[in-house]
Amino acid sequence: MKTPTPLCTIGRLAAAVLLGIVAAPLPARAAEELGALEELAFRAATARVAPSVVRIETLGGLERVGQVLFGPGPTTGLVVGENGYIVSSALNFRHRPASILVRLSDGTRKPARLVATDQSRMIVLLKIDVDAPLAVPEFASSEELRVGQWALALGRAFESDEPNVAVGIVSARNRVWGKAVQTDAAVSPNNYGGPLIDIAGRVVGILAPLSPEGDDEMAGYEWYDSGIGFAVHADQVLRALPRLKAGEDLHAGLLGVNLRGGNPSVSETIVVNCHPNSPAQRAGLKAGDKIVEVDGRAVERTAEFREAMARCYAGESVRVTVARNGERFERELELVAKLSPYEHPFLGILPMREAVAGGGVAVRYVYPESPAAKAGVQRGDILVAMAGEALPGAAALRNELAEHQPGAEVQIPLLRNGKTRDVAVTLGRLPESVPNETLPPARAHQKPPQPDAAGGRRVSIKVPEFPNEVWAYLPETYRPDTPHGLVVWLHGPGGFQWDELLAQWKPHCDRNEWILLAPKAVDSRRWDRIELPLIRKLIDQASADYSIDPARIVLAGYESGGAVAMVAATQNRDVIRGVAVIDGPLAAQLGPNEPLQRLAFYVATSPQSRHAKIIQSTIERLREAKYPVTVRRLGETSHPLAPEERAELSRWIDALDQL
Amino acid sequence: MTKSASFDMASDSPNCRLGLGSRGGFRLVQRILIALLTAMAAVSSSAGDTLPNIIEDAQAKIVKIYGAGGFRGMQAYQSGILISPDGYILTVFSHVLDTNYITAVVHDGQRFDATLHGADPRLEIALLKIDATDLPHFKLYEAVEADVGTRVIAMSNLFGVAMGNEPASVQRGTIAARTNLQARRGQFETAYRGPVYVLDATTNNPGAAGGALLTVRGQLLGVLGKELRNAQNHTWLNYALPIAEMEAVIAQIQSGAFAPSAEISGAAKPELAYSLERLGIRLVPDVLDRTPPFVEYVREGSPANKAGIQSDDLVLLLNDQLIQSCSALREQLEYVDLHDEVRLTVLRGRDVPELREVILTAAPETFRNLP
Repeated sequence: MKTPTPLCTIGRLAAAVLLGIVAAPLPARAAEELGALEELAFRAATARVAPSVVRIETLGGLERVGQVLFGPGPTTGLVVGENGYIVSSALNFRHRPASILVRLSDGTRKPARLVATDQSRMIVLLKIDVDAPLAVPEFASSEELRVGQWALALGRAFESDEPNVAVGIVSARNRVWGKAVQTDAAVSPNNYGGPLIDIAGRVVGILAPLSPEGDDEMAGYEWYDSGIGFAVHADQVLRALPRLKAGEDLHAGLLGVNLRGGNPSVSETIVVNCHPNSPAQRAGLKAGDKIVEVDGRAVERTAEFREAMARCYAGESVRVTVARNGERFERELELVAKLSPYEHPFLGILPMREAVAGGGVAVRYVYPESPAAKAGVQRGDILVAMAGEALPGAAALRNELAEHQPGAEVQIPLLRNGKTRDVAVTLGRLPESVPNETLPPARAHQKPPQPDAAGGRRVSIKVPEFPNEVWAYLPETYRPDTPHGLVVWLHGPGGFQWDELLAQWKPHCDRNEWILLAPKAVDSRRWDRIELPLIRKLIDQASADYSIDPARIVLAGYESGGAVAMVAATQNRDVIRGVAVIDGPLAAQLGPNEPLQRLAFYVATSPQSRHAKIIQSTIERLREAKYPVTVRRLGETSHPLAPEERAELSRWIDALDQL
Repeated sequence: MTKSASFDMASDSPNCRLGLGSRGGFRLVQRILIALLTAMAAVSSSAGDTLPNIIEDAQAKIVKIYGAGGFRGMQAYQSGILISPDGYILTVFSHVLDTNYITAVVHDGQRFDATLHGADPRLEIALLKIDATDLPHFKLYEAVEADVGTRVIAMSNLFGVAMGNEPASVQRGTIAARTNLQARRGQFETAYRGPVYVLDATTNNPGAAGGALLTVRGQLLGVLGKELRNAQNHTWLNYALPIAEMEAVIAQIQSGAFAPSAEISGAAKPELAYSLERLGIRLVPDVLDRTPPFVEYVREGSPANKAGIQSDDLVLLLNDQLIQSCSALREQLEYVDLHDEVRLTVLRGRDVPELREVILTAAPETFRNLP
């Protein structure tokens, strides 16, 4: 066929349009011709890359990863080296296949080995032996990408000689912290691992499920065919290739700082805390520092910082410019793949829940044998400062403690009977046992119930878009000026009777100042994944309507409700502070322990529980990650909680603001 | 088309389309084009076969079908297309038709009682009949076929949003693949394994089944199928059955000559088939959901032994079909006639793996020893 130049093509199009003017109806012909040319262009672009798009078949491996059932079906890869290097999506190997086969576009099959994985971009590199050089596609730089240009997603998931094609446009560049191009072409397991190409047939990215929030292989999978698809920028994949070819697994590079929370597009890049033993701490960064540049790029908001960091891998160095007290200085930091797990320290007290005039934290209770007890701290003392920082209240003390780990020695000046004394405390570990005595009241002056505050009443809560029935109980003590704890109860199979549930928990709600909130699954036999967002909405709505103590927001669940509680807690780390699981299969992909986002676990189970094995292994994993786990044995066989067990759980909830 | 041709032509067309061109040489041509295209948009409603006109024309041939269902989340409606002036409606064979009271609502809102004229359980299609004349309809003999990359429109009453005289919903997409259907409904593989068009738009939702798949020129391509999952990777499939696959059956149903075939379960097992025992292979213990078929032991003097199969070989392919587990190999062998040969491809060696193809035939004594 004759080779048309670009001018020819446009000329043809113009000629067609002009012809259309002469021969009526004009617009129909022109539109038809334009459409036909576009279809030709789609096919030509596809044909240009097709020889490099390969099918990947796997043998053996897991049938299910988390909630997702894995089909054994073929997936897609893209040739990136003529000597047999092929990239694909890490999701395609999440089930850990025993053997991998690559079927080239000419139909020949080759055994492949997995060379390395880029854990930051969820891309794997495979290698096959080749008889002849493979066709390598042309790549396009992400700089050239323009939103609105055509984008075609190719895969080899179907039994066919040609790749499957989904047509769309580039929806955005530099998505998921700058890693990916976003497209509205249908992206799914039918083309994960395949290329996203432009209309010139150049590869702009590798299709993969990604999510700005999660970072495991399954993150973003739930978005398949949704109009939101991602492809890792091709130039970033190419940049990672040399290290992957050397067999090196790549990980996101970590600095070890926690920046100010809140909306990442608004919050400033101010360090609130450095992870112990992290590159940031070794380089001398401190709370209050402002990070102003990363590798010469200005960063002002935490989102910009995250995007700048997402470009870097562990093992690489970054130059960080920090502003402190009006001065700027630079530090060169080598990023790490993993931070040693952070463990919260324990002072050994419960704080009073009322503000102290003039500042400080009043001691409500001193744990026996705790560091505070050993140092002579007494109930009624007022802690006025820690490590030289004044303490306006309990929240400040909690943040101050998050700078330390067990074993650290801190100076805590305190006030007792109007006299100041200095106390040195060697911080310990958070206790995993629950105080077995009745705890003293958290307020010295119990305010009388407010008649119009709905205290002692049950209320029905309706969340728009969710058909679920939700009941809540506001304890008699409830007043808008008294922050209460919040416990979301997730029922087990078969639902629950509100009257029964309330009778069980009402005394505890009233005594320990917490609101009970109980949603019902639409199908009372089981919770559906689509109901998970309801939990967050309920917490947000309760926090908006009532006065909630952020240190005591708890998800509690019985049986499968416990599993839901675990998953919801991992998705809402920013608000959930405690998870109580009563004989539930407790499996979750939990991130690292965060200094500023405490999370404690209460697990009630028995050796005869049908989930005993998975519960035990999860407890071990949680403890390894330095989360405090309180385990309550329910005798030989499992059962719903008995009265004394409920009382203990309620004390555990009450003690969640321990310091 | 050569590579350079496709590259050159393709690289500039998005610029044309979006009017973003920046290369001086093309500017003039582009300006003319943009002007023309703008003019087109302004007068398009007056033209004959524009997409809106094509759709309007096709709308008159789409039928909303109501029947049984409405419990346990099963919808009581689906879509259909008129294929004759006297009221034959092509639709999918589903639980919706499992009632004596089927209602068909045509484009102008007229309601008809429909009777089930006949159905093919393998293709899962059905013909309904309503009592009417002079209906606008699709002529099946005018149906066309199209390649991957062709832009299409799907018209159906998905989710039952259209009621009464409201027109069906229209979606646009592209043919993503032409392939043989490998699908699942719940635990079961579907009976039909023939060619389908796979689409890149989410067309196959509740109520969409029986709707039309058309080219952007309004030519009939196929009928949207029921909701199915891809048996290979469990994702939801968006697909349509090509008219060519069902034309003959439709004609037979229409004339009353159709007799559904009794065997709808696909390939039949031969009377004498291979087995691992007959080949002389013992696999590793089958303990996982998908234990890879590693050979544990080869019997001395057996066909496998003679063909050179060794212990620790991993069986990958049986007669070119990928074998993913011990149980799959055992099952698939039951379909290979003992009189034919068995071609096995095995992977040997862990560090430097190589593929090896061997041909096994049943030894005569295998036949002799049969009970």
